[in-house]
Amino acid sequence: MEKIRDAFDFRDFSKPEKVGFAIFTLFLLIFPWLGAGSFVKAVAIQFLLFSLFGMGWNTIGGYGGQVELGKAQYVGIGAYTVALTMVWWKIPFWVSMPIGVLIAIGYSFIIGYPLFRLKGHYFAIATICTSLVLQDIFINWKLVGAAKGIELPIREHPDFLYMQFKSDTYYFYFIMALFYVAIFYMNWFRKSKLGYQLRMIKEDEEAAESLGIDARWCKIKAYSIASAFVAVGGGFLAVYNLYIDPYSVMDLDLSIKIALMSMLGGAGSMWGPIIGSAFLVPLDRFLGSWLGAQKGLIGVDFMIYAALIMIVSAYQPRGIWGIIEQFRKRGA
Amino acid sequence: MIILDALLQGILMGLLFALVALGLTIIFGMMDIVNFAHGEFLMIGMYTTYWTSLLLHIDPLITLPASAIVGMLLGLASYYCLVKYLLRGPMIAQLFGTFGLMLFLRYLAQFLFGTDYRIIQKGLLVGKTLALGPFMLDWTKLSSAILSLIAFLFVYYLLHRTKLGKALRATALNREAANYMGIKTERMNALAWMIGGGTVGIAGGLIVNFWYVYPTVGLLFVMIAFASVAMGGFGSIKGAFFAGILVGMIEMLFPVFGHLIGSDFLGPHFKFTVVYFAYFIIVVLRPQGLFGWKK
Repeated sequence: MEKIRDAFDFRDFSKPEKVGFAIFTLFLLIFPWLGAGSFVKAVAIQFLLFSLFGMGWNTIGGYGGQVELGKAQYVGIGAYTVALTMVWWKIPFWVSMPIGVLIAIGYSFIIGYPLFRLKGHYFAIATICTSLVLQDIFINWKLVGAAKGIELPIREHPDFLYMQFKSDTYYFYFIMALFYVAIFYMNWFRKSKLGYQLRMIKEDEEAAESLGIDARWCKIKAYSIASAFVAVGGGFLAVYNLYIDPYSVMDLDLSIKIALMSMLGGAGSMWGPIIGSAFLVPLDRFLGSWLGAQKGLIGVDFMIYAALIMIVSAYQPRGIWGIIEQFRKRGA
Repeated sequence: MIILDALLQGILMGLLFALVALGLTIIFGMMDIVNFAHGEFLMIGMYTTYWTSLLLHIDPLITLPASAIVGMLLGLASYYCLVKYLLRGPMIAQLFGTFGLMLFLRYLAQFLFGTDYRIIQKGLLVGKTLALGPFMLDWTKLSSAILSLIAFLFVYYLLHRTKLGKALRATALNREAANYMGIKTERMNALAWMIGGGTVGIAGGLIVNFWYVYPTVGLLFVMIAFASVAMGGFGSIKGAFFAGILVGMIEMLFPVFGHLIGSDFLGPHFKFTVVYFAYFIIVVLRPQGLFGWKK
């Protein structure tokens, strides 16, 4: 009971944060009726999806301070579970998605156990390696479509069981619901015992261990929570795109994007991942559609994107949220 | 026989991997930064050799100094414009800073040269093979391997036998103490980036003799370099050398192994997967790498 109360208790946030969050919620609720085009709607869905990924990453990467760069493998596990069970056995989304999440959690325990023997750069590169190995296996595994990927069978009529709709509006509300579940979970998580333990580990691992915290076990738990979040998003990606291949759902770029957005927004804070993806997803998409369409300017959009990443990481490593807090402290 | 042949090819390739890994490990040993843009430095080294040999009509092997100089300048520029500022931040900001540099260079190359796959077609050694008893070796690979061994030994000499190298290693071991001894550590950082950029530039100039060059070629090599550096132990030069050769041998032996046991699944398309897997196993069993001194 107390847990549920904690999840809905936003009292310890400052007033501007509460007001901002309320306005943001209202805006999201009426967003599909504002007459936005299909492109803008797609960008909004991407934004919510990446916020979901980012919040997942934030548990291990932000609160736990572990540089984890292999989240794409869990996107892949979630997406492939939904897609394959749907193609093979016609299992509805509402059954296959939880299965995907369970597989992701199981897998995360299996590789998390050896992985968290490592620290620092060894850990970061090992996470990349595990993700690449899984991607390579899927690229060459004929049973799951190999490099061609899988197409989901399209239903004639919109179907709630299989989550197939004609209009993006439904997808928008669905991912928004997932997004809010994630927010409430994170609100509970940051006040939970594990949340405090992780922050302690981030500050000083040896001190945490001397206080009787099993650092490795805590990290593994946080890692599997993060994986579950990401697998949910992966399942959504499969029904939303109706087509997945190892390059789109398991790529290194995706792993890095997930971590990058949380980092740029402000790792280890409640709003960081949301701000980060609110900033980067539209930037990425609009720059791409604006500059990418111009002849002779191929790649310029990514150069601007890359320059921004370099500037933020050199100027304020705590991200956009860090900059906001800096200003707030100066004002107060 | 087929195994011996693969072993030999693996050693040749491994020498090049070692040279790529060398720059990465020097930079890491100095300032604990993993340079994601390392593969892109390699790509630029490859393009430099490609274009100079094409436009000036000279043999690609003679253009190596150009690649080395471009690599050094690139290393210096990225140190003074970016890395200097990144050093103040936490590890994750450093990773993403160099990741941004990687994206920037990759798409700059795509902007300048397009996405075409290019390969050197003319050259003294291109397409010629050397019959060494029962083994057939490509002259390009052989000469590249020998030149990369020479470059490696030169850097090793520089680091272990000269005063400059001593200062560099002292900084890597203990920055503060080195500072008290009057070593300008800031300049040592820049030097590490210069050496790192230069060696990887040379490696690029060598690899382009028998490998296609395209803007995203760096990713494959940087992952291999990461794996070999981490296998050998971050910061260890000896480790980078042996791990590079080990990686080359794994990469060449694995398809042969798959062929011998008659498995379709264990084919050449998994050769790099096995490298990542080997990395994973090695670091889990020995978290500081094979020759590591830095944790």
